[in-house]
Amino acid sequence: MSVGTSADDETETGTGYPLRRIALYITLAVMAVFYLIPIETGLVTSLTDPATYSGQFPYLPPLEPLVADTGSFSLQPWQNAVDFLGQGLVNSVILVVPATILSGLLGSMAAYGLTTVSWRGQIAIYVTFVAGIFIPYQAVLVPLTQFWYNVVPLRTAFQPVAYAVPFVQEYHWKLVALIVTHTAYGLPICTLLFRAHYKKLSDEMIEAARLDGASIYRIYRRIILPLSVPMFAVVFIYQFTQIWNDLLFALTIIQFGDASVVTQELVGIGVSQSGTNFPLRMAGALVAALPTLLVYVLFGEKFAKGVAA
Amino acid sequence: MAELTLDNVTKVFTEDDGNEIVAVDGVTVDIADGEFLVLVGPSGCGKSTTLRMVAGLETVTSGEISLDGDRINEKQPAERDIAMVFQSYALYPHMTVRENMSFGLEESTDMPDDEVASHVEETAEMMGIGDLLDRKPADLSGGQQQRVALGRAIVRDPEAFLMDEPLSNLDAKLRATMRTELQRLQSELGVTTVYVTHDQTEAMTMGDRIAILDDGVLQQVGTPLECYHAPNNQFVAGFIGEPSMNFFEMAVQGGTLVSDRFEYALSPAQREAVGNADRVTLGIRPEDIVVDTEGGGSHQYDVFVDVVEPRGDENTTHLTFDRGVEEPETFTATISGLRHIQAGEPAVATLPPESVHLFDADSGAALHNRSLETTEVTEQLT
Repeated sequence: MSVGTSADDETETGTGYPLRRIALYITLAVMAVFYLIPIETGLVTSLTDPATYSGQFPYLPPLEPLVADTGSFSLQPWQNAVDFLGQGLVNSVILVVPATILSGLLGSMAAYGLTTVSWRGQIAIYVTFVAGIFIPYQAVLVPLTQFWYNVVPLRTAFQPVAYAVPFVQEYHWKLVALIVTHTAYGLPICTLLFRAHYKKLSDEMIEAARLDGASIYRIYRRIILPLSVPMFAVVFIYQFTQIWNDLLFALTIIQFGDASVVTQELVGIGVSQSGTNFPLRMAGALVAALPTLLVYVLFGEKFAKGVAA
Repeated sequence: MAELTLDNVTKVFTEDDGNEIVAVDGVTVDIADGEFLVLVGPSGCGKSTTLRMVAGLETVTSGEISLDGDRINEKQPAERDIAMVFQSYALYPHMTVRENMSFGLEESTDMPDDEVASHVEETAEMMGIGDLLDRKPADLSGGQQQRVALGRAIVRDPEAFLMDEPLSNLDAKLRATMRTELQRLQSELGVTTVYVTHDQTEAMTMGDRIAILDDGVLQQVGTPLECYHAPNNQFVAGFIGEPSMNFFEMAVQGGTLVSDRFEYALSPAQREAVGNADRVTLGIRPEDIVVDTEGGGSHQYDVFVDVVEPRGDENTTHLTFDRGVEEPETFTATISGLRHIQAGEPAVATLPPESVHLFDADSGAALHNRSLETTEVTEQLT
């Protein structure tokens, strides 16, 4: 109320209000330009002839918006990038979708069990969950490789599955290992986020459900899960971005080969002995970034709700 | 519908540092089939804990709770066939009113869907919320949410209702309406009900009987009028009644009570009740004090009017023996709302002997309660 009143007062005097507005819009415009320039640069570069691209500032429209030797505007670098990254994109999707859903779902269940249901020793267990957040990635790289390559016979166990199920390839075992790793590593933060959400739910509501005859599982299924939708949006976006953009675990566990994910493929795109093809690299980077943008667009509204809650 | 019995029920909470807190201490009360019992007391007296033990939401440290003769201490809340109405209503925010009301029947019985639906609709009609069935709780007013919460309990047709301050989130006017409605519903349904409140008006007006708890200990169980006119102790006397009973701590000197401010001659019966106690607390309800402009007889005292609170139908006057003191010790007297009385005026207060209660000054136990017969006689005379 008081804000509205003061704004009205300033309109009457005819000075402060519009000036402040103008300053606000200028700031917003400057910030928008600042944040959009790298993307714009990438976009422009991706449509520039590799031969001419070094001749001018990369964020200006290309002098010759051409692909080499065609003489006309073309999306050829994008086509090339998609072709080059295709396998990686598919592998990334195979990795990200289950890993995101699993870490979100398990995180939600763990948080429910550690927050809403009360039992002896749950704080100690919760502390170990939280401690998981602080384990540095670097510290687990070698044990992780040892674990998946030498301790767990996942590769041999996976072979019959690959033969039996259509579309499943032998090299997919590496993706399974990566899914499990990302799920495990994402679990602490997901649990933390869900726990914060569940702590705010009314205890009386849960008690009412218990008196209504619902079991622990039914309370989760019918009360907790539907009320977690905004938090799932937050966790899904966060985990999707995290796992999609991850390179370190992919390099450690997949290392190389058919199972390589898009971030690994991106490292090598447009690099050859004849030099670096920057337009192709830029197109590749944008193609690789598209799915995360898509997720933000799809879940953005729910995300905002979840963050606000 | 069933009889609910609490036998020496005790709840001890153990804090993290090992401290033990006795929240409920040996509460014994028999609640008859279909009875409306109000559990009342100040905040933190253990009334909600008692209710939660009956519901099965808290474990019972010792003692026994039985429903219809069967011990239910170890039963899960779901198995007790008890419905509870919470202060916050505790509706499921993502479900419609219909889903909220169906939930309990779906989870606790094998009732077919169409039967559930018809039960829900029937109850909703009875509660006057039939047209709200497809709304979500967030779209309802406080009073409507309250009705849904009650409807959700009623639709399950439980053995007993537990209500934990269900009206305290409503505004004063709606609360009064719901109070009457709840009483009517309860007597129509005839379901054994335990109703927790800190509001003594609700306790007085709603219950068949009141159970007054203080510091985990049951102080008195009785009909509202019993508790009002014949309190077991000073706590009950002070808790029940609005404005509260006045208390004066006095020394006993033979047949007279003496304090710094006034002396009070006891009747033979009162003297006998006091026995050989040397200090007692004299209690008298504000409405029993007669305020006049002049007098000088026995049990009449010169006082000054400190503050007058007009309430329309009556005035609550704060009287004091000490004139001109900054913050004098006062006692209250209720007089007719049509009488004009000004702050600062002198007055004469009569403390009629038949209305006086006497309590042991140390234990607070009632030594003598007011006589009821005399009141009736005087009322007939006037």
